[in-house]
Amino acid sequence: MSKFSVRKYRFTWDKGVVVFLVAAVLIGSFGSEYFATASNLSFVIQSIAEIAIIATAMTYLIISGEIDLSVASIMALSSASIGYSFQAGVPFEAAILIGLLVGLLAGLLNGVLVTVFGLPSLAVTIATLALFRGLCWVLLENKPVNQLPTDWVALGNDNIPNTFLPWATIPLVLIAGISWFVLHNTKLGRWVFVIGVNPVASKFSGIPVKGVKLGLFAFTGLMSAVAGVIYTLRFASASPDGGAGYELSVIAAVLFGGVAIAGGVGTMWGVMAAVLSLGVIRSALQLVGFSANALLVVSGGLLLISVILPRVTEFMRSQSSKASIQSNKKEKVYK
Amino acid sequence: MKLLKKALRVRELPGILGLLLIYVGTGVVNPRFFSPSILNDILYGVAIVAILAIAQTFVIVMRHIDLSVGSVIGFTSFLIGDLSSQGFSLLAVLTVAVLVGATVGAINGFLVAYLGLPSLVVTLATLYIVRGIFNEVGAGKTVVESMVPKELNWLGLNQFFGVPYLFIIVVALMLIAGVTMHKSRAARDLYAIGSNPSAAQLVGIPVKRRILLAFVATGAVSGLAGAVMLARFSSASTQSGLGLELLVVAACVVGGVSIAGGSGSVFGAVIGAVLLQEILLAIGALGIPQFWQLAVNGALIIAAIGLDRYLSTRVKTSNIMGATS
Repeated sequence: MSKFSVRKYRFTWDKGVVVFLVAAVLIGSFGSEYFATASNLSFVIQSIAEIAIIATAMTYLIISGEIDLSVASIMALSSASIGYSFQAGVPFEAAILIGLLVGLLAGLLNGVLVTVFGLPSLAVTIATLALFRGLCWVLLENKPVNQLPTDWVALGNDNIPNTFLPWATIPLVLIAGISWFVLHNTKLGRWVFVIGVNPVASKFSGIPVKGVKLGLFAFTGLMSAVAGVIYTLRFASASPDGGAGYELSVIAAVLFGGVAIAGGVGTMWGVMAAVLSLGVIRSALQLVGFSANALLVVSGGLLLISVILPRVTEFMRSQSSKASIQSNKKEKVYK
Repeated sequence: MKLLKKALRVRELPGILGLLLIYVGTGVVNPRFFSPSILNDILYGVAIVAILAIAQTFVIVMRHIDLSVGSVIGFTSFLIGDLSSQGFSLLAVLTVAVLVGATVGAINGFLVAYLGLPSLVVTLATLYIVRGIFNEVGAGKTVVESMVPKELNWLGLNQFFGVPYLFIIVVALMLIAGVTMHKSRAARDLYAIGSNPSAAQLVGIPVKRRILLAFVATGAVSGLAGAVMLARFSSASTQSGLGLELLVVAACVVGGVSIAGGSGSVFGAVIGAVLLQEILLAIGALGIPQFWQLAVNGALIIAAIGLDRYLSTRVKTSNIMGATS
C-alpha cells in the first residue's frame, strides 16, 4: 500500500476543523451584518490572542504526551511581576523582560519536577497552578496595578495603522508560524511526535527525551508569559486573579484542533483553526443574540464531537478494510 | 520491623503525618490553634471538598478523572434551593439532585467506557456543558437563605456533641464508600482496572460496565453533595462550585490516591481534603498574611506528590497520568 493512497483518502479531524471554521465564518456573515466588519474581526483576533499563543506551546506539550494546567497561572504571574516591578520603579520595558523571565522560570520548574523528579505532569501542574496563582496574590495582594504607561496600553488595544488588525496579531502570527514550521519541518518537531508515540523507544533510539520535555515546559512557560504581557496591555491592568480558568480553554482549543490527549497526534494548523473557530463562533453567537451560556454548551459539544468523530471514522475504516491485515496495525498521523 | 516497613508503605501515611505535624507545629507557635473552635472550623470547611474527593476516588483509582464535578455540585446546589422555593419537598429535590449527578456521570461513563474516549477530554466537555446549562437555567437568579430547605439550614448550623453534622455526613459516606471499596468485588475491580486495564479485561472483569458504574457513582455523590454545599453556604448562584474540580483532584493526590490509578483509598482522599483545609487555617494562626495561602497550598501539593513518589515502590513513569502503559 503506497503512502500516497493512504494519505489521499484520510479524513482527519484537523481538516474538519478548517471546514468548520469556514462554515462558522459564513454562518456568522449571513446571520449578522455586523459580523464581517473590520471592527468585529479586530475584536475576534484580540479576544483569542492570549489563548492562541499559549495553545501553540500546549500543542507541543500534549503531542509529546505531557500536559500543563498551570499556564493561566503563569500568565497571571508574569502579569503580576510586570505590575509589581513597574510599581517598584523598574522601567516598563525592563518590567516586561522580568515578566517573560518569570514565565520561563515557572515553566522550567514544571519541567524539572516532571523530568528530573519523574512526577506526573497532570498532578504537578495542578499543584503549580495553585502555587503560581498564590504567588500572584503574594506579589500584588488584592491591589491590582492599573497605572501603566499609556503608550504601551495603546499598543494592547489599538490596531496596526491603516489595518483592522490589532498589534497582538504580529506576535501571534510570528509565534504560530515558527511553531508550525518547527513542529512539522524539523528534526525537533519529529522528536516531539515520536516521544508522544513511545517515550521508551524514543529514549533507546537516542532522543534526549528528558531534555526535549524540559525544553517544552520552559517554552510553554515563556509563551504563557508572552500571553501575560498581551493580557496586561489589553486590560491595562495587572491583577492577581487575571485569566483564571484560561487553562481549560487552552486545552479545550488544542484538543478541539485534533491533538490527541494520549500524545503523538496533532497538527499546528488544526489547533490554530480551532482557536480561530472558537473565537468566531463566540462572536457570531453573540451577534445573533445568543447568550454567553450557549457558547459554553457549544464549546463542550464541539470538544466532544472532536473526540467522537475521529473514533467513528476510524471504526468505519476498520469495517471497510477488515480483510486486510494492515487494518490491525494502529496507524498514527504524524503530519 | 516488618510491621514498620509495612506501615511506611501505607499510602495515607504522608497525609496523616502532614496533618499531625502541621497541627502540632502550628499549635506550638500559637496555642490558640489547639482550641476546639479551630477544629470545628476545619471540620465545617472541609465537608464539601471531602465529599467530592471521596466521589473522585472512584474514578481516579481506575486511572480516570472527572473534571465535571464542580459544575455538577454547583448546579445541584442551585436546583435544590430553587426547586424547594417553588414548593417541592426535600425528598423530591434531593432525588432530582442525585438524578442530575447520575445522568452527567452516566454520560461521562458511557463516552469513556463504550466509545473509549479519554476521560480528561470528556469530563472537560461536560464541565462546560453543565456549566452552560446551569448559567442558562440560573440566569439572574440567586438562591438566598430563605429559599433553602429548613432541614438543610439546620444541618448546616448544628452539631452533634461538638461535631458538625456536615462532617458526620462526610464520615458516614467515607465509611460506606471505604468498606465498599475494600470489600465489594465490583469496587475491587476498579483497582484492577486502574493497575492494568488490558490485564483487567483479560481476567474477565467487565471493564466497560465497571467504568460506567464508577462514573455514575461519582456523578450521583457529587450531585447529592450539592445539598451539603447549600447547607454550608445557605446560598447558591451560577458562580457556585466554579473551579472546585482541581481542588478536589489536589485533595485526592495529597491523600495518596495516585493519579496513575490502582492505589489509594477514600480515607486518604478525606485526609487530603482535611489537610488542605487545615493549612488554610494554620496560615491564619501563624500570622502569615492570608495572601500566602494559595501559594503554600501549591507548594504542599508538590511536596505531597514528591513524597508519595519517594515512598511508593512503583516504577518511574512518564505520561501525564504517571502511568507506564
